[in-house]
Amino acid sequence: MATETDAVTQGETDVDAERGYFGITLSTRTKWNLIRAVTVFVYVLMLLPLAVIVINSFNPSRLGNFPPSSLSLRWYEALLADTRMLRALWNSFQVGVAAALGAGLVGTLTAMGFVRNDFPAQDALVIVMLSPLLIPPIIVGVASTIFFGQIGLERSLAWLIVMHTLLGLPYAFLIIRSQLYLFDETLEEAAKTLGANPVTTFREVTFPLISPSILTAMVIVFVISFGEFTATQFWVKRTTTTVPVVIFSMLRTSISPQIDALATVMLVITIAIPLLVLGIRRYLLGT
Amino acid sequence: MSTERARFGKVRDRVMESDLVRLLLSPGLGIAWVLLFLFLPMTVIVVISFSVPGDFGNVIYEFTLANYERFWEADVYKNIILESLVYGVVVTLLALPLGYTVGYFLGRSKTDWKWVLLGLVVLQYWVPFIIRTYAWIIVLSNNGVLNGLLLDLGVIASPLDIMYTDYSMILGLTVSLLPFMILPVYVSVSTIEEDQIHAAKTLGATDFRAFREITLPQSLPGIVSGILFVFIISAGAFLAPTLLGGPSTRMIAPVIETVFILDFNWPFAAALSLIYFAIIGVLLYLFTRRVDLEEALETGVA
Repeated sequence: MATETDAVTQGETDVDAERGYFGITLSTRTKWNLIRAVTVFVYVLMLLPLAVIVINSFNPSRLGNFPPSSLSLRWYEALLADTRMLRALWNSFQVGVAAALGAGLVGTLTAMGFVRNDFPAQDALVIVMLSPLLIPPIIVGVASTIFFGQIGLERSLAWLIVMHTLLGLPYAFLIIRSQLYLFDETLEEAAKTLGANPVTTFREVTFPLISPSILTAMVIVFVISFGEFTATQFWVKRTTTTVPVVIFSMLRTSISPQIDALATVMLVITIAIPLLVLGIRRYLLGT
Repeated sequence: MSTERARFGKVRDRVMESDLVRLLLSPGLGIAWVLLFLFLPMTVIVVISFSVPGDFGNVIYEFTLANYERFWEADVYKNIILESLVYGVVVTLLALPLGYTVGYFLGRSKTDWKWVLLGLVVLQYWVPFIIRTYAWIIVLSNNGVLNGLLLDLGVIASPLDIMYTDYSMILGLTVSLLPFMILPVYVSVSTIEEDQIHAAKTLGATDFRAFREITLPQSLPGIVSGILFVFIISAGAFLAPTLLGGPSTRMIAPVIETVFILDFNWPFAAALSLIYFAIIGVLLYLFTRRVDLEEALETGVA
């Protein structure tokens, strides 16, 4: 990075160079370089461990050194042959998509209701809507499992979808609501004046304008659902298990590059699907 | 046919325009979802926390204070909750300066790489905790990547015992939660007008003073949001203490899980959950007296 076009203007007078901190005097540029060094350090901490997983998933030997001396797809082949993994991947995908649709739908209606209406205790009800985000997942998991157990409800994919929708709902609500705040309500008024009924107004005017934020919300709900473990561990049974639960149980027994392969697949899905969806959105919007 | 449709359309409009129907269909659906699947279970476990545990997760509905007495009389559970909160504070205190620095850098830098760097933080947000946590096992364990590298380079003679300690857990948790600090700080720093800072400096303010009087107050919403997320998530963490922590690491989430799954003691698991929930609730209440909870969450999410 030879071109230094940072926030620091070159040749600026260094007023506080005279004072210094802890007896150390630093110029503005040196301070900026320190900030940059910390930033680089943080990125290394965030990215390196993930890179290690991806590289190690191609390691042919179980206890091989890092970096691997040769590359192999052995662990990916093992994944493809493992019906439990494939089932978990399929479950995670289904639940993620269904929860995204569920939270997208319920979140849109709820956000519309909060922004377009006045009703009693609105502030308190906002906190109710946000509570799945504030209550630690361990408590959500335990409380719902005891409750469903007491009313005799069998664990199922539907149960998982309902609960993942609950976990995603605050995100969908907040994201869609903030878009609605920016929304020009006279557009809806105009449609109504021209004779459109509420359903048509929503379909023709409101929905197209807030659809980008609905899509963003759904993508985020998918990502949350796909990676959630702490509460989900209580909600699954053998046939409805999800990828994070499988990775956790594999970690309990032994560590092998097969976990790296599964983690890499999961990483690719959690990053590729949102990028794809948001990319398509961008393409459709023509920006 | 068409008159039929028109009539249906009119009835539908009438129904849709009724305030009650609109409220029930619209905010009512979301509120009902949360009440039914979160508040109702929470209410039920209040009852169960005052009941007697039966075999295999059964509950005998006889009123007892035994679960709460058990919590109160043995110091172990009180200490576990206290330690969880302390770990939460430690992780927050580490994530704050690191995350703030990166958020500040991203907000003020004009480097061409900025969008790539921002994109990388957003991607980090999406990486599941199980993967981030697992990553630190392969990096830090005795035959892990870090030790392998240091041994090969001859820096150390025998592997460092960092894995399965408080340090490895705190490191893993802090790094996983950094995006929750970086993004909101970035958002608030990037909205600060640079002219203000220039003006302050022209008037003779030092870098530090300009930072303290202009940048810091305006980045407060981001800081508050970051602290909220990092503290709540880290104090209630399950994966990091279970997978990265050592024998002396005790946190509330794994303990509740053990009581629930291994001891099959649902009433005591319910009592522990409710006590922990009450403490988090009180902390959040104290928090809302100083800052807007809703705004803090919105800064972090949207």
